[in-house]
Amino acid sequence: MKVFIVPPNSLILFDLVERFGHEPLSLMGAIGDRVTNPEIESPPINVTLDDVKKGLKYAGIEVPSGIRGRLALWGPLVDQAEAAIIMEEAPFEFGCVGCHRTDEMVQYLIKKRRLPLLVVYYPTNEEEAKVLVARIKEFLEGLK
Amino acid sequence: MPKDRETRMIVIAPSSAVTPDQVTRLIHGMSMEITIKETCYGAMIEGAHENVMKALEAARKLDPDRIFSKVRGFPIGDARRCRAHHGSRPGFTQLEKEWECLSLIEKGVCAARLGQKVCQRPRPKKIPVEQLRKIADEVSK
Repeated sequence: MKVFIVPPNSLILFDLVERFGHEPLSLMGAIGDRVTNPEIESPPINVTLDDVKKGLKYAGIEVPSGIRGRLALWGPLVDQAEAAIIMEEAPFEFGCVGCHRTDEMVQYLIKKRRLPLLVVYYPTNEEEAKVLVARIKEFLEGLK
Repeated sequence: MPKDRETRMIVIAPSSAVTPDQVTRLIHGMSMEITIKETCYGAMIEGAHENVMKALEAARKLDPDRIFSKVRGFPIGDARRCRAHHGSRPGFTQLEKEWECLSLIEKGVCAARLGQKVCQRPRPKKIPVEQLRKIADEVSK
């Protein structure tokens, strides 16, 4: 099953989802499709005007274009997702630090779709790490 | 880059005895049509999806619980990201943070593989608003 991960660029979540036999939907895959497309120039012009329009499906016109641009990438991933894992209480430098509003909007989109959802907490010690992996394993095995 | 091509990062947990050099040499020795770059955290590999997964599987066998991987958006040596071309590296803080955390995660992966039972303690609750107000009032007096 396709599992969306939050933060969408997380190595830990990507690896664990793949390790336990599912397909992680990550930001890197979406970015990879864009940056290797010869029609798109180098950053910061890697979000096109069309992307900002696509973002309108996920956020209103009054929402800043930066959020809509990001949602043009993340939104279609949420649409494809069949389940989601969200990591909370992580340090500030963990995940996409560019825009917290986009993070909130994505979490709202996930909850609105009523996908099977697992909320885990960033581990600070060995016990918490064991609980994190055990919960993710249990959740992913339950999806099969 | 064609659709079936993929770039992957292989990240070795800090607690592992495997070195990036070992991973790189192993993949080189497989003589597959993939590009390999040794890095401080492990290696980057790029090629056809099938070959990349084969190489990853072989690398994982060196230390299954301590070798992690994820897809990378930009190709190896891309001038927009590669430091050799003075590219920016905005994802590095994230990678550094997660690399530090891998020494904890590998304990979890190991416990899950061995089927160990873990006890989940209830998380501390947030302070009620009334209590917080009391504390604030005491301080502001």
